[in-house]
Amino acid sequence: MALLGGVLGLDTVSCVQAMVSRPIVAAPIAGYLLGDPAAGMSAGVVLELISLNQLPIGANRGWDTAPASIAAAAVAALSSGGAVTLVVAVGFGVLVGWVGGWTVHLMRHAIARLVAAGESQRPIAASVLSARHLSAMAIDFARAAVLTLVALLLGAPLASGFEFSGAAAAVAATMLVLICVGLALGSDMRMMAKGRTVVMAFTVGLLVSAVLSLWLV
Amino acid sequence: MSVRLLFRSLVIQGSWNYRTMQGAGLGFSLIPYLSRLYRGKRDALNASLGRHSGFFNANPYLSTVAISAVARMESEESDPEEIERFKQALVSPLGSLGDRLIWARWRPLCSLLGLLLFGLGAPWWVASGVFVVVYNALPLWLRLWGLRQGWQRGRDVARALLASPLRRLPDRLTIPLAVIAGALLPPLALALGGASSAGPILVIGVALAFVVLGCWRPALAGRLAAIGLLVGSLVFVVLENTVW
Repeated sequence: MALLGGVLGLDTVSCVQAMVSRPIVAAPIAGYLLGDPAAGMSAGVVLELISLNQLPIGANRGWDTAPASIAAAAVAALSSGGAVTLVVAVGFGVLVGWVGGWTVHLMRHAIARLVAAGESQRPIAASVLSARHLSAMAIDFARAAVLTLVALLLGAPLASGFEFSGAAAAVAATMLVLICVGLALGSDMRMMAKGRTVVMAFTVGLLVSAVLSLWLV
Repeated sequence: MSVRLLFRSLVIQGSWNYRTMQGAGLGFSLIPYLSRLYRGKRDALNASLGRHSGFFNANPYLSTVAISAVARMESEESDPEEIERFKQALVSPLGSLGDRLIWARWRPLCSLLGLLLFGLGAPWWVASGVFVVVYNALPLWLRLWGLRQGWQRGRDVARALLASPLRRLPDRLTIPLAVIAGALLPPLALALGGASSAGPILVIGVALAFVVLGCWRPALAGRLAAIGLLVGSLVFVVLENTVW
């Protein structure tokens, strides 16, 4: 799992950016490897929505979604299931994602010292440039893998030590998930598009989907 | 050679940092081409790599425009200062065009599409697979398009960017993005909250009410959603050990 964290961590920024590090992909894959892809996917869906409005533009420091997704999926897949488990899993994922964001920040300062040391635009041999560039990628891989490993070591007792139960707790957890998903989707929408036409398009999609969903239920 | 430039462009952000940003990655991407161009001229090669390892930044998927255009200008033995000015002039348009198209529209659109499929009951691998395949179609096309345009037009590549339909694409994706977001809400709310004792209309209503609140103060709502889940998880863990 730590290797998976390292590989998916590279995808976030350093290598390819095929977005397999996004929670909608990373979390169900981690869940699958741990025996419960559906639990991983549920955690991934919530994490995806609350991290969607973070745009990786310039020096913007967002979440580290790969270790966060794997950590959340691990807690979700190894727990007893239900809404309370989902809240705990995603909450743990959020914490890991934030810590991951700080490790990325520190790593970027370290890489600046590694690849941009000395006078700017000084002649450089191809072998030296390649070694520095590939070393930076190795650092990113190691960072994400270690963070994932630490998160799993901390998350394992969280997942196996509790048997979440109780009807009141389940209703409270469900409402909390709905509220947070609603807030996140609203935030995502407004960050990306606004205007009367957008509201109308959203409403049309909502109404058609609501009628179909309620009819099927 | 263009295949090697394409593959190296995949890791242009491998050494992204706060000082030179993608600079070292640009130099790394150009190594195969410049090594061939300056064969037997080690000092000229090292000087060229040094120049191209300074500050540079662009949307990663459109970085191939700069990589191939710089390669073309190097092959034409353009003045190094002119190449440097050209590179820095590309930073803003490549960044704004790519960021607006990919990060603000395409990725959210594909994510919401995957989430919608999950909400409608598709297996996890279908939802994830559709997201990965559909999302990567555009970045792959952008990389190939950028490589060709940069090489064919060289220093005039800015005209290709201005004339390309890519500038209008983000606006055209806005309506589909909003429709999918609206369509996503009911099935997702039912999938996440359907097992509770609350009725389906209440479940959808609660989610919709908070979507409206989220639109009102988006930055605050995004943080609140994350903090709410973090704090909620802590509360549940504590209560599980003390009360339930």
